Amino acid sequence: MNTYEDILQEVIALLAPLAPPGRRVAEETDFVADLEFDSLKVMGFVEKVEDRFDISVPLNLLPDIRTVRDFAVQLQRLLGER
Amino acid sequence: MEATPTEHNLPLRSGDFATLSEALDYAARGKTGANFYNGRGHLEAVLPYAQLREEALEAAARLAGLGLARGSRVALVAETCPDFLRFFYACQYAGMVPVPLPASIHLGGHKAYVAQLRRLLLNCRAEVAVAPELFLSFLREAVDGLELRFAGTPEQFREVPKARTPLLPSGPEELAYLQYTSGSTRFPRGVMITQKTVMSNLASIIRDGVKARPDDRSMSWLPFYHDMGLVGLVLSPMASQVSVDYLKTRDFGMRPRLWLSLISQNRATVSFGPPFGYELCVQRLRGETEGQFDLSSWRLAGVGAETIRAEPLIRFAQMLAPCGFNPKAFTACYGMAECSLAVSFAKLDLGLQLDTVEPEALALEQRAVPFTPSRWPGRGRGKTFVICGTPLPGYEVEVRSPEGAVLPERHVGTLFVRGPSVMSGYFGEEDLTREVLSPEGWLNTGDLAYLAGGELIITGREKDLIIINGRNIWPQDLETIAESQPEVRTGDASAFSFTMENGEDRAVLVIECRDANPLRREELSTRIRSLIRQELGIDCFIELVPRNTLPRTTSGKLSRSGAKNDFLKRVQEGRTECPGLEETRRAGSVAG
Repeated sequence: MNTYEDILQEVIALLAPLAPPGRRVAEETDFVADLEFDSLKVMGFVEKVEDRFDISVPLNLLPDIRTVRDFAVQLQRLLGER
Repeated sequence: MEATPTEHNLPLRSGDFATLSEALDYAARGKTGANFYNGRGHLEAVLPYAQLREEALEAAARLAGLGLARGSRVALVAETCPDFLRFFYACQYAGMVPVPLPASIHLGGHKAYVAQLRRLLLNCRAEVAVAPELFLSFLREAVDGLELRFAGTPEQFREVPKARTPLLPSGPEELAYLQYTSGSTRFPRGVMITQKTVMSNLASIIRDGVKARPDDRSMSWLPFYHDMGLVGLVLSPMASQVSVDYLKTRDFGMRPRLWLSLISQNRATVSFGPPFGYELCVQRLRGETEGQFDLSSWRLAGVGAETIRAEPLIRFAQMLAPCGFNPKAFTACYGMAECSLAVSFAKLDLGLQLDTVEPEALALEQRAVPFTPSRWPGRGRGKTFVICGTPLPGYEVEVRSPEGAVLPERHVGTLFVRGPSVMSGYFGEEDLTREVLSPEGWLNTGDLAYLAGGELIITGREKDLIIINGRNIWPQDLETIAESQPEVRTGDASAFSFTMENGEDRAVLVIECRDANPLRREELSTRIRSLIRQELGIDCFIELVPRNTLPRTTSGKLSRSGAKNDFLKRVQEGRTECPGLEETRRAGSVAG
């Protein structure tokens, strides 16, 4: 039931309220360059993801995530491993 | 699994030991210990001091088995987990020097983190490096090409054969640990702390600061590689034989309410945090708190590690009053890694003690004249500072003018301290050491302060250190990131911060840029901002200016304070538009 497209849409929906006003969130959106995420915003977002999907996102994934797509791909993998 | 108890029969000894290993030998005779909670607030690991001692001795035998010289550095990626404690104390028993390394990585920050680990490993000339499984891949990359005797996980370390010779723990004059100041990531400074030095500070903290009680229980989410996290909440509970509950910093950042839940659940009495930690709770708790927590056991809510502003703490106290939080529990303290940890503690059970001074005398004459509203009708409000208490026994403090004269009370100057817990120096950096530590033992703290009634009040920082969300950011790190771009030449970037009206610090980087093409300029700004977020996890405002704009000293060095003054002038005159600073400009009061 968790296709990549479903997960991507969920992630985008969770991110939308955290994005700077007027900024659209899409698959290619870069967390740092486009959404201006600092470390506290990242933590706030990961909390939402963990609560929504009831998983734990390992800290060591973050350094290799740049875009919404990178995040959705990792999330799909984590959900698949459950 | 059951957490270690608060109640126990071992008579309290207030850190009066010659070394850390002696302190652990004693704590191991009781039933208390360390407890580790996961991101959902569930107990994940329990490590009584007795078991910690056994396991540290075993790891020490393996460390000794590596045949390293005495005092060799053992780098530990300091994730909040039992293995960090095992290895930290193993070093104590084996006569090695543990070096906690940061375990904080930012989104997209892979390369930057590996580079940082490598710089630290090289700086301390580590012979051994241990990282938890989660960090192994980063450590592997960081040690590539370096000749370490061992680099791997605690599990892999168990394959090292044990030495057969008896262990010789570090003596009072030997180094207890090397602490990288939570400062520059690019130009690391490893503070050298001997056993005697740290034990002196621990005894003071326990006896005179915290005034430990046998039924105390500590709680901490502070990183183990941070001075307050390590000395205040790892070593201090152990040296006073009390149980402590840990939450990973990252899990606190994600769910700040876990700090309060765990205090409630375990009836903790002592917990510390930087002001930003309390502020984060206020931001994320939203709404009703009544019935969610019971904070009535929390007798000492320590505040330190950055300049303390009263307002967020007052909001925290108001918000959590229905949960039994006692505002008198707030205890301001002052210290730094260079002094092991603590220099001063405010008196207990009084709450935040404030000193309000007349703003003009402060700005123009650097004098802290008590503010009397009647004497200054229509002159606005006074400027309020938090009193950080009297220096711990054995500490001398002096407030000095820029010319080095010792200033009387209520005059602001640079704070110098001398006392029994001052570092021996920065590892391998004699010049840097001489810059801050005089042969007579006076340490230049780089902080601006005044004394009032013998109590210490910190007003700001003389050094250009930038503190955002409780993290120290060194301007040279921001400048180096800019200068690493092909468009920017060395010496063409100047970084500083200023305090906005709401009291928060904002980092600014002014860069001289030769390119006039607006698209390429925009691209350069965006790129540098992104690199700063990846490496340091903060937002920074980038201003590109024409050549020869940045002020220089006679010797050609950039003047950061000059660059800051010029920048603030441009903002006030409306020549620079910086989102977030506009309100400050309109308010017409850009604080220094």
